[in-house]
Amino acid sequence: MDFGLSPAEQAFAEEVRDFLRAHPPETFPEDGTDAGYGSGAHSRPFTQALGERGWLSMSWPREHGGQARPMIYQLILLEELAAAGAPFGPLPGCLQVADSIIRNGSEVLQREILPQVARGDATFWQGYSEPDAGSDLLALKTHARLDGDHWVLDGHKIWSSHAGIATYGTVLARTDPASTRNRGLSMLMVDNRLPGMDVRPIRSLTGQVYHYEIFMDGVRVPRDWVMGKPGEGFGQLLKGLDTDRFWGRFYKAPFLRRILGLLVEYANAALLVDVVARRRLAHAATEIAALRALFYRAAWLIERGLPATGEVSAAKVMADELGQRVLSLGMELLGPYGVLRAGSRWARLRGEIEHQYQTSWGHTLAGGTSEIQRTTIAVRALGLPAEPRARG
Amino acid sequence: MDLSLSPAQQLLQHSARALLQQRCPPERVQELALDPRGFAADLWKEIATLGWPGLLIPLALGGSGGSVGDALALVEELGRACFPSPFIGSAIVATTALTTAGGRRARELLPALAVGERICTLAVLEESGRLDTDALAMPVAAPGRLTGRKLFVADAHAATDLIVLGRGLAGPTALLLPMDRGGIEARPLDSMTGDKLFELSFTNVDIRPDDLLGAPGGGGTLMAPAFRLGALARSAEMVGAAQRVLELCVEHARVRVQGGRPIGGYQAVQHACADLYRDVESARWLTWEAGWKLESRRSDADSAVAMAKAYCAEAALRVARRGHQIMGAIGYSEEHPLHLFHKRILAASLDAGDAGLHLETVARAIGLS
Repeated sequence: MDFGLSPAEQAFAEEVRDFLRAHPPETFPEDGTDAGYGSGAHSRPFTQALGERGWLSMSWPREHGGQARPMIYQLILLEELAAAGAPFGPLPGCLQVADSIIRNGSEVLQREILPQVARGDATFWQGYSEPDAGSDLLALKTHARLDGDHWVLDGHKIWSSHAGIATYGTVLARTDPASTRNRGLSMLMVDNRLPGMDVRPIRSLTGQVYHYEIFMDGVRVPRDWVMGKPGEGFGQLLKGLDTDRFWGRFYKAPFLRRILGLLVEYANAALLVDVVARRRLAHAATEIAALRALFYRAAWLIERGLPATGEVSAAKVMADELGQRVLSLGMELLGPYGVLRAGSRWARLRGEIEHQYQTSWGHTLAGGTSEIQRTTIAVRALGLPAEPRARG
Repeated sequence: MDLSLSPAQQLLQHSARALLQQRCPPERVQELALDPRGFAADLWKEIATLGWPGLLIPLALGGSGGSVGDALALVEELGRACFPSPFIGSAIVATTALTTAGGRRARELLPALAVGERICTLAVLEESGRLDTDALAMPVAAPGRLTGRKLFVADAHAATDLIVLGRGLAGPTALLLPMDRGGIEARPLDSMTGDKLFELSFTNVDIRPDDLLGAPGGGGTLMAPAFRLGALARSAEMVGAAQRVLELCVEHARVRVQGGRPIGGYQAVQHACADLYRDVESARWLTWEAGWKLESRRSDADSAVAMAKAYCAEAALRVARRGHQIMGAIGYSEEHPLHLFHKRILAASLDAGDAGLHLETVARAIGLS
C-alpha cells in the first residue's frame, strides 16, 4: 500500500500552491454563488486562469490537445483548490463533460467545444431532472425529433446548477417517441443562446440563485450535437453517474477540513475549548480523514477502470451527511453569532458557516438523494434484490 | 499511489482465510469463549509453523521481518474469523516493545516467540483503567521487590512471559519477567466478551537488574511504538470483524423471506446494509492509510493511528449494533456467531486506548489549545 505522491506529483501540488499564492482566490470576481460542495463560487475569470495554465485539459489525450496526465493530477489540483477555498465552481462539470465528449462526442463536438473548455470559456449545466422526474428520472417527458439536419427539442428541465450563467447544457431527452423508460433516450449538447431557450432562476433558501429551470420550446439542435449515437443516452448516463458522483463530491473532504480549521481557530480564540467541544472537533477530524481515505480508494478503482459504484455512492452519502454534521457543529460553536450573514457587523468567520450550513441541506438531495445512493449500494454493490417497481 | 495489497500480502490473507475457515469456525470460537481457561494451544502451534507469531520479528532473530502492512493484512483476517488468541498482545505489542528495547533478555526471548514456544503478555492497566503512563502508580525498581496489582491483563493463563509497566523513580519503567517468577498470581476476571482477562497480583516479587526492559524511566518512550502498533492492529481486527458482520447480514437479508420476498428487498433493510458497507469501507481505508503513514515514518503517523483507532471503534461498533437489528431474533441466540463478533469488536475498541484517549491525540494534532 502506498498512499503517497511521487516526486513529480508533489512538485505539481507545490506548483498549484504557488499559483494560488500568486493569484489569491479572493481577488477573482465571482459570477455565481458558492453551492457548498467544496468547489467554491462560480468564477469564470478564475476558471480561465486555470485554463491558461493548461490545467483544464491536462488529463485529456494528446490528440485532443491534452497532456495525457494521470487522474492523480486532477485529484491534486482539486484538493489544493478546495483547501484554499478557491472559486472553481464550474471546474468539476467541465471535467465531466469534456470526458464525456472525448468518449462519446461527435467529431464536431470535439472540434467545437473541447478548445473552449480548455480555455475556461465554456461551462455547462446538466439537464436531467424535470418537475415530475426526480428520483424517478426515467419518467422524464422532454423529447426531441429529427427534422432534416436538426433535432427539435421540447421540454422542461429543473434544478440545473448555474444554468443561467453557463454556455451549454447536456440535456437528456427522449428521441424515440415509441420508447419507454430507459430505451430511446439521447444526450444532446444544447447551446444556451439558441432560439427557444428560456432559462429562469430559482432563488434558493440561502437567498441566492444557484438553480435554474429551463423551458425548451422548439429548440433546433444540430443533428451531430448528440453524444454518441441516438438511443445511447441512458447507457451514457449510467456510465457517467459513478464518475459524476465522484467528481461532484471528491473535494468535500478538503473543504470540510478547511471549515474544521476555521472552527478550531475560532474555538481557540473564543476560549471555547471545553472537554465536549474538544472531543467533538477531534471526532469530526477523524470522520473527515475517513471520508478522504474512502474517496481515494474510489479514485484508485476508477483510474483502473474497476467497478466503484459502491465506494462512490458510500463516499457521496458520507460526504453529504458528514458535511451537515460539521456545519451543524459550527452553528453550535458560534452560538448566536452563527446566524449572522457575511457582511453583517458582528458576523464571525466571514459568515461562511451560516452560508455553508444552509447549502448543506441541498447536498443529500442533489446528484441522487442519499436514499437513492443507499439503494444503489444495496442492489449494485451488495447484490440485494431490487424492490419491485410500482405499476403506473 | 498504490492502494493494493502486495502479492505476498494477498497470499498471506488467502492462506490465513483458508486455514481459519477450516480450523477456527464460529463453533470453535464459541467453545473457547465459554471456557474460562480457553486457549487453542493446537491452533497456536499451527499458526507458529506458518510463521505468524514471528511476522514482526527480525530475520536475524528467527522471524520473517515483516512490515506494518503485512501485519495489518494478517490481523484483518484474524478479525474476520474472530480468532481468539494472544496474537495481538504477544506478536504485535510485546514483540514491538522487545524489538524496540533490544538487550540480552529481549534477544533471547524473541526467537522463542517467533516459533510459538513462548507467549508474552503485558501488565499495564491499574485500577484507574487508563492507558496513559501518567496514570501508572505501581512502584517498580530493579533490583528491588515488586508488590502491587495490575488489572485487565490478557491471556495470563497462556503466557510464559510478561512485560510490566510501572512507576520508577525516574519515570515509567518496564520490566520483563517470566510468568513463573515467585510471587506472581493470576486470577481470572469474568468478561462477557470471551476474552481471557486477569488480575495479576505481585507479592514481594524478586526483581533482578537484568529484568529491566529498556532504561529506567524510559518506559513511556519504549512502549509508545508498541501501543501505537497495537492500536492500529486492533483497528484492523475491528475492520475484519465488521466485514464479517456485514457479510452475515447481507447473506441473511438475501435468504430470509418475509411477506413473500427476501427482507433485503425492502428499502429499510437495504439502507441499513448500505450503512454497514460505508462504515466498513471507510474504516478499512483509514486504517491502511495510517499503516502507510506509520511505515513511511511520516510526522503525522501518531495522529493518523489515533484517528484510525477512534474511527474504527465507532464504525465497527455501529456495524455490530445495527447488525443485530438486521439479523433479527436469531442473532440474539448464543449459537449464532453475531454476538461473538460484536463482543470481539467491543473488546478491541477498549484495548490499546479507547476513543477518548485517541481523540485527545487528534485534538492536539488539529491545533486545539
